[in-house]
Amino acid sequence: MSRPGISRTVLTVFLWTAAGTAIWLFLIFLAPALAARGSAGAARLFYALFAPICHQIPGRCLTFHGHPLAVCGRCLGIYTGFAAGLILYPFIRGFSKIELPSIRVFLPMTLPMALDGAAGLLGIWASPIAFRFATGAVWGTVLPFYFVTGLSDLFLARRRRAAGLALEKIRANDVK
Amino acid sequence: MDQKKPEYFRPALIAGAVAGVLSGLPIVSAGNCLCCLWIVGGAAMAVKLLAKNTVGVLTAGDGAIVGALTGIVAAVVDTIVKIPLQPYNMALARRIIDKFSEFGQEMPASLDGFLNGSSNPLTPGWFLLGLFFSAALFTVMGVLGGIIGVSLFGRKNPQASPPAAPLPPPPGPADAA
Repeated sequence: MSRPGISRTVLTVFLWTAAGTAIWLFLIFLAPALAARGSAGAARLFYALFAPICHQIPGRCLTFHGHPLAVCGRCLGIYTGFAAGLILYPFIRGFSKIELPSIRVFLPMTLPMALDGAAGLLGIWASPIAFRFATGAVWGTVLPFYFVTGLSDLFLARRRRAAGLALEKIRANDVK
Repeated sequence: MDQKKPEYFRPALIAGAVAGVLSGLPIVSAGNCLCCLWIVGGAAMAVKLLAKNTVGVLTAGDGAIVGALTGIVAAVVDTIVKIPLQPYNMALARRIIDKFSEFGQEMPASLDGFLNGSSNPLTPGWFLLGLFFSAALFTVMGVLGGIIGVSLFGRKNPQASPPAAPLPPPPGPADAA
């Protein structure tokens, strides 16, 4: 769906998402960097920040300055893929269209990570970190196309609703 | 403008409670290691419930709202479920870390300290900070899950919002009189 006037909203959401992603990735590397500098208390806080969404098992994390990153290899792959997807976003989708990716794109990009994750959880096989990173990155690449589109749609709908209400109010005043 | 807004809260409450319990239970919570599977999946489930009870077309924005609410509910339920299970979770985490240490993997001092520190009773400050962190993270993941849910379960045209219906023309002089 292409409509005039939506470019600015999509661009704004895109830039905020890019900034958030950069901070997110920075924090993942900040935790081991602080641990390496001996700031154990601060490092613990940043490790704890990511604890609700990642197991953080050291054997499954890539290391930085000799300390494990704040998330595992697969999660890092997802976030790196998300950043890569954001870089691709303007070239593939542009800022003048609001359209979710097709399910035919989503499923093939999800399947490798889902199979690898399920096999790992069921104890069928233990894949190396590089493989986990790669499958996570493939899945992460498609996510910004949902995230930016969904939030842009939300803000555009709210703006339209507010404009409609304001117009109705003006007309009601005119009638009086 | 008369288009009825979907009822977001009920599906978010149901799906968020399920996702929160699954995220809080030991062992089962490992599903969240797969990019917040329970939260993303819970938000997608909330969209499915929303689609079932909504007459109109669901938009990506609807998915974002119901997903965010699901994430917040899941964070609260997850935190509550974890309170009585905290000693067990810490013992389990310690066992997993020790298991990995047997294979030559060193546990960083920061994690060691975290596990030791976490065995102390939870203070209200840490409780609220943990709830805030969880809510923020789960909300972001819930938004993502909700939007993906619209593309999977949204009916007819799971794309963006339809353009607003044109408003009637402004009243003429005869109407105003």
